[in-house]
Amino acid sequence: MFLRIEKGSAVPISRQLAAQIEALVSAGNLAPGAKLPSVRELARQLAVNQNTVLRVYERLAREGLLDMRQGQGTFVAARPKGAALKGRRAKLAEELRQIARQGMALGLSPDELHELLSEVLAEPATQNHIAQIAAQQVAENPS
Amino acid sequence: MSAAIEMHAVDKAFRRQRVLADMSLKVEQGQTFAFLGRNGAGKTTTIRMLLGLLQRDAGAISVLGIDPAEDPLAIRARTGYLAEDQEMYGWMRVDEIIRFVAPFYGTWDHDLALKYVREFELPLAQKIKTLSKGQTVRLGLVLALAHRPELVILDDPALGLDPVMRRQFNRDLITHLQGEGRTVFYSSHLLYEVEPVADVVAILDGGRVVRQTDTETLRRDVKQFVLSSSALAAVRDDLAMLDLQHANDEAAVTVENAGAATALLGREGLEHRVVDLNLDEIFAAYVSGTIDQASAAPPSLAAVGEEEG
Repeated sequence: MFLRIEKGSAVPISRQLAAQIEALVSAGNLAPGAKLPSVRELARQLAVNQNTVLRVYERLAREGLLDMRQGQGTFVAARPKGAALKGRRAKLAEELRQIARQGMALGLSPDELHELLSEVLAEPATQNHIAQIAAQQVAENPS
Repeated sequence: MSAAIEMHAVDKAFRRQRVLADMSLKVEQGQTFAFLGRNGAGKTTTIRMLLGLLQRDAGAISVLGIDPAEDPLAIRARTGYLAEDQEMYGWMRVDEIIRFVAPFYGTWDHDLALKYVREFELPLAQKIKTLSKGQTVRLGLVLALAHRPELVILDDPALGLDPVMRRQFNRDLITHLQGEGRTVFYSSHLLYEVEPVADVVAILDGGRVVRQTDTETLRRDVKQFVLSSSALAAVRDDLAMLDLQHANDEAAVTVENAGAATALLGREGLEHRVVDLNLDEIFAAYVSGTIDQASAAPPSLAAVGEEEG
């Protein structure tokens, strides 16, 4: 699991870590049931206070994204709960809102913004990613 | 749980110059406590008083339940100390200084010292004066930790280390100090540098601790609001202001009660913009914030002239 933190940013370290783990889970880079590094290990790897890492794991576990099993470690929840994903969706909507505002500020029309998004979606790298996620979903729900 | 360090209403002056005035702070056991202040704010003076190397003029100090003015040796036996820019005998080799320091401590663990030397990749047979800055700090840590102290006091340990070595130092601190449940009192002049490792930060300014809390609370409480001068006039009595700047008829005000300020501005229906601050900006607001008393009127010609000059 590759995470990075930005020191001194206006975003607290715990929020930076939580957002990156959420992103890895929702992008499928961390599959359901996958084991995360221990609190100690991750704290050492990132040179971050163990209490900070523990708080992040606990919060994501409360939100249903992770599963902390006594004596075994921390895992991605088998089926991340709806609430956690809904939170991601709300965050994404906020990011899109900001992008839309930036686009307007650059003088782009709504049509031109739609066109830009379509271009990005059509790029080979994005297409590959979409195909990967679809394959994973088929593997998880074979029916 | 009793506090590892407690200072209450401590005063200290050198001749006429007052360094600490009514200073209080509290460090719980097992905490990593970052002690922040600008250069010359009194950090090293505080540390020297905690170790009983300097006497206070007034107030009370307790370190591991002991008053350093009464029994400094009992404190030093249970404390590891890494001084700022620690001077060591440059002609000694690494193994020689370890053997030299060991007899000062009744609880010295030589195997532990050698284990740290291996983990820190220190060359035992090398002369101290030929070590790099990073290696010297690590050797200082070996000497500060090998007697298994309950409390470790580090005086600006990252000073003079490059970013790679700083990260490595933080990692050492997390593995060998936090991982083993020791209390760490860590002084620095860089808030963003201590953020990843600190449980609590205390900001020292004007001879006393102006704020003691964790960095997330600090970031939540200290924010900048940009609003019209007239809107500011309506609410300013309820703002805990750290810094205020005027430009044209707008005001940028940094407060330490952002939650209350947001609620108030919302209730009053006053238009405003909230700016999240990074830790450097928050630190600066506490230690060098100024309240600009300019009126709400548009800038005069003189003020414009000043800006250009």
